[in-house]
Amino acid sequence: MGILSVVIFSPLIAAIALLFLPKEKTSWIRGVGVAGTAVSCIASVFAFLAFDPGTTQMTSLSIQLTEKLVWIPTFNIHYYLGVDGLSLPLVILTTFLCLLAAIYSCGIELRVKEFFFWYLILEVGMVGVFCALDLFLFYMFWEITLVPMYFLIGVWGGPKKEYAAIKFFLFTLFGSVFMLLGILAVYFASEPNSFDMIELMRYSGTWSREFQIIVFLGFYLGFAIKVPAFPFHTWLPLAHVEAPTPVSVILAAVLLKMGTYGLLRVSYGILPLGFEWFLPAFVLIAFINIVYGALCAMAQTDMKKMVAYSSINHMGYCMLGIAAVSATGFNGAMLQMINHGIITGALFMFVGVIYDRAHTRDIGAFGGLGAKLPVYAALMSLACFASLGLPGLSGFVSEFLCFLGAFKAWKLYTILSVSGLLVTAAFFLRMLQKVFLGPFNEKWAGLRDMNARELISVVPLCVLMVLFGVWPSFLIDIMNPTMTVFAGMFPGLFQGLR
Amino acid sequence: MLEQVHWIPLIPLLASLAILFGGKEGPHSKMPLLGVAAMGWCLLQSSWILFHALTGRYALPYYHTIPWFSYGDYVMTLGVLIDGPAVVMLFVVTLVSFLVQLYSLGYMHGDPRLKRYYAFLSFFTAAMLGLVVSSNLFVFFACWELVGVSSYLLIGFWFEKPGPAYASKKAFITTKLGDLGFFIGLMILYTQAGTLDLSMLAERAKLGIEYLPLEVATAVGICFLIGAAGKSAQVPLFIWLPDAMEGPTPVSALIHAATMVAAGIYLVARTYFIYDAAPLAMGAVAWVGLFTALLAATMAVVAYDIKRVLAFSTISQLGYMMLGLGVYGYTAGLFHLTTHAFFKALLFLGAGSVIHAVHTNDMREMGGLSKRMPATFLTMAIGTLAISGFPFLSGWYSKEAILHAVYLHNPMMWLVALGTAGLTTFYMFRLVYLTFLGQSRDHHRWDHAHESPPVMTVPLWTLAALSIGSGFLLEHEGLFAKLVSFESGHGGGHEAAHAPVWLGAAAVAVFAAGLAAAHRLYGRGDLSLAKSLRERFALAADALEARYYFDDFFLWLVSLSDRLAAAMHWFDDQIVDAIFVDGWALVTRAVAEAHRFFDDFVVDGAVDGVGAVTRDGGGVLHRLVRGQVQEYLMYVALAMCLFTIILTTR
Amino acid sequence: MTLAHYLAVSSGLFLIGLFGALTRRNIIGILMGIELMFNAANLNLVAFNRFLHPDGVAGGAVALFTMAVAAAEIVVGLALVLSIYRTLHTVQAEDISLLKG
Repeated sequence: MGILSVVIFSPLIAAIALLFLPKEKTSWIRGVGVAGTAVSCIASVFAFLAFDPGTTQMTSLSIQLTEKLVWIPTFNIHYYLGVDGLSLPLVILTTFLCLLAAIYSCGIELRVKEFFFWYLILEVGMVGVFCALDLFLFYMFWEITLVPMYFLIGVWGGPKKEYAAIKFFLFTLFGSVFMLLGILAVYFASEPNSFDMIELMRYSGTWSREFQIIVFLGFYLGFAIKVPAFPFHTWLPLAHVEAPTPVSVILAAVLLKMGTYGLLRVSYGILPLGFEWFLPAFVLIAFINIVYGALCAMAQTDMKKMVAYSSINHMGYCMLGIAAVSATGFNGAMLQMINHGIITGALFMFVGVIYDRAHTRDIGAFGGLGAKLPVYAALMSLACFASLGLPGLSGFVSEFLCFLGAFKAWKLYTILSVSGLLVTAAFFLRMLQKVFLGPFNEKWAGLRDMNARELISVVPLCVLMVLFGVWPSFLIDIMNPTMTVFAGMFPGLFQGLR
Repeated sequence: MLEQVHWIPLIPLLASLAILFGGKEGPHSKMPLLGVAAMGWCLLQSSWILFHALTGRYALPYYHTIPWFSYGDYVMTLGVLIDGPAVVMLFVVTLVSFLVQLYSLGYMHGDPRLKRYYAFLSFFTAAMLGLVVSSNLFVFFACWELVGVSSYLLIGFWFEKPGPAYASKKAFITTKLGDLGFFIGLMILYTQAGTLDLSMLAERAKLGIEYLPLEVATAVGICFLIGAAGKSAQVPLFIWLPDAMEGPTPVSALIHAATMVAAGIYLVARTYFIYDAAPLAMGAVAWVGLFTALLAATMAVVAYDIKRVLAFSTISQLGYMMLGLGVYGYTAGLFHLTTHAFFKALLFLGAGSVIHAVHTNDMREMGGLSKRMPATFLTMAIGTLAISGFPFLSGWYSKEAILHAVYLHNPMMWLVALGTAGLTTFYMFRLVYLTFLGQSRDHHRWDHAHESPPVMTVPLWTLAALSIGSGFLLEHEGLFAKLVSFESGHGGGHEAAHAPVWLGAAAVAVFAAGLAAAHRLYGRGDLSLAKSLRERFALAADALEARYYFDDFFLWLVSLSDRLAAAMHWFDDQIVDAIFVDGWALVTRAVAEAHRFFDDFVVDGAVDGVGAVTRDGGGVLHRLVRGQVQEYLMYVALAMCLFTIILTTR
Repeated sequence: MTLAHYLAVSSGLFLIGLFGALTRRNIIGILMGIELMFNAANLNLVAFNRFLHPDGVAGGAVALFTMAVAAAEIVVGLALVLSIYRTLHTVQAEDISLLKG
């Protein structure tokens, strides 16, 4: 039993334990739920301590903390876990945000037991996706995330929750069906048939370009829907708006990263020829995500929807970094994944805080709250500034690296994408102005500032924003060796970009 | 002291954090003193460094870096690069900041958010100082943005009022627009040169054209100029600066004299080797500067808000600096930056003193204040003389140097610049006449006006002394030029050449003309002559008061982008989502309906058919069953017989 | 005495039993007919044992089993008859048609 199994399955154990608790004992249930995520988080910290990032001079990926057991020998399926600099930061991000969102979830009153059960199962799936190195296992965990999310949105969501839940479910299921086809294709194309991701990376040289392109498209559908890349993004604003706050946090902070993680690990790692073929379209999509997402966000009057569209914009930066196919761009994309998780997670919590009190998220309905809720205003402004890429906060370095990497490969698109930065600044500042500045709207005289539970779940994120912004080495040093090796893995390909 | 130079930005930063998180908020908070003390230390340290640099005891440039983070094989560094301009800027910034902080003790007295104000002020200075010392353009850019955000916080300090809330956003967005240019320039430069370290870049630029091709240098230069135009309020991005007057007046002094607006000039100066390699970009700098100087000066002529007049004058003077840099007058441009910092800070703080006394910004409600506030009047007068280029005051030296360089570069530009100098004299004396001289136009305000407390007048006198003496001191024996100079690889050497003697006389003549015009129009203290002139040239005056419609243009851009955003949202909602997603779902459902039809009538029909046959067959067989055990037994026996017969006869 | 004699007797016994089981109205009679058929089978078993495998005991053993099972069966059968009589007050087979759907 390795440390990664502990990380993955401690929430599962907690979920099973929950089933034996009577549903009236809500405080017990909350305790067990939070404890399950906490154990997972602590275990992931141990995994981090045991992890050695390696150096940029490595010749191959250093997969560590591996666990490999034969699972279904007939089909050569293994229970194969392991992390490298690509997945470990995401694992820690997941467990950490799950813990914070679980603390935030203690404010949920409806069907507490079911909520935490599904929530914990969701965490199992998400962590599993990042740890799995066997495509079959990967797919299994990938699908595990789907059902809990469906229920979490569909039961605890807002007014249009059923519609949002079914839309989310169908969208992602549609994608994962094609992904399954892709998985089967690479399985049967390998000799001997294998689901082992690390093993499969070596086949890329032997598979023909046409095969890789077709399989790439299958995988791409699955991942692009999760990212979400234009034009598969429309489930996201709806799901975000309807989902309860902690679920929105998880959705934005972790679930979207499964898409970009898959793009890097599978689409790029296993099918480089297909990736190379698709790259011109990919960078165009990244550009559309950035500018289009930002403009759509600017048109919103609902705070949560605005943040949701800004997610599309920020994942666009991430895709731009990936499209660079260089150590700079990959590092930027990875940093952006983590930072977006932290920042947008915090932003959703902040929106949730105001919604819990005022029961509206309409930007125009507020005004002058800065004087009434100083702590809330200060922290939310911090998160907004981090999101618009202010130096000293975490978004800055990652956006800069994404752009810097992409510029070398795609000059025009990158220059055009820069305008997204301006629009992002514009809509965040406009929101800050309308909500916090100006004359105080007396209608909200009864609002209270943030309470302890909310502060506990948000302040760590704000601290991380500052920490990663001032000293990004904390993060980059873990991932840089892996990213450098990863970017140089196919020396013969991507010639035009270097 | 030079080795500890990194503490100069760090101390205000730490002080800012300490003020923000420590102590108690309120009008009687003691935390501001911490900010003043921190600034005082920084001033001491940078004065020490300046003194030793001027006397040649320090070997400049001083360069020291530590690794910050690395990606791929590239190591991004944090570090300091202290050369002559940096030393001068350090001194100017710390001095003005210190005086502003001191002054604010009086000006902001009684504000309920005093602590927050001082935290922001210290942070602002820290960001600016970080920008000054940074050895790396990436760190420079980071500090550049931090300057932007702290100006956002300070301009919007009185955020309950809609004006400051709007102005702060406008300032941030407008400068951010310029920052995009800077950002793109950084990407081009990094991609070409492979580093953002200033000293390495300078070395590579020296190595020759293969390291910095002409077109790259031009592109980078233009991009950086866009950034500088945003921060230093050049045409067409100057629109934020007049609105930025909504902030507390000491903040205006800090922003417009020493820190934020100087950043753009400083950027051009720090990357001067790029402009030197790209004549086109250099020319753009000069022309942008010239236009800005002229347009802003004309706009200042019609403004009645005392702070706005000063704001336009700042823009105009910044244009001058740009012009100086753009005509290869590196030393002259930075010299003007230095002297301008002193007298513009003086003028703003003086204006603040006036506003503090009469509680209005409108000069039409002032007049005759010299009797009520003599100290303010005297210092303001000194500042006005300095900015107008009265001989042997600081502004005269620096402006002469710029005009000199301009004349050698292009006499036509010189003519325009000279005219602008005359306008400067005119609008500055207009300000003095309207505010301090003549008769009071609002007796109620006049009666309540009073001289400011010493904590406010001491900074004024300090700055007045510097406005008088700094030019002479720095020009003396070419001290400044020794510290701040640039060895041009191309069209340099202008500064050494000699210009005609009548150049200086022309400047003095223009000064006299401007003074005379101001006296003629406003000397009597009533506005009737000015009003009649305004009516005669209504069209021109309208254009000037509307700031040449630049604001309207940008507002139009904003509304355009808003409409674009709305269109995008509509597209997302109605086309992408409704047609491609929900429409897809509709198609799927239609197909599903067809399937259902098939299911119901064919597949299900077949199933039902089998069921019906079975049921009916059962009905027939049913009759055979009567519940009689013996009958069943007989069937068994018969079956047995049958089987036996079959088996035996086979 | 050959095997054929034994088989003739046993088939006669069997047919009598079958006839009785099919024709008797009384359940007791039916049970008796069934007993006769059992014994016909037993006779067969023993006879085959004696004539085909004189050294073996398998036939006799199975016959003993059959007797035991028959005894058990008659116990259950008579108990059922008693129960039927108590509830339906008849032992006539044609009156009992509960299985008819």
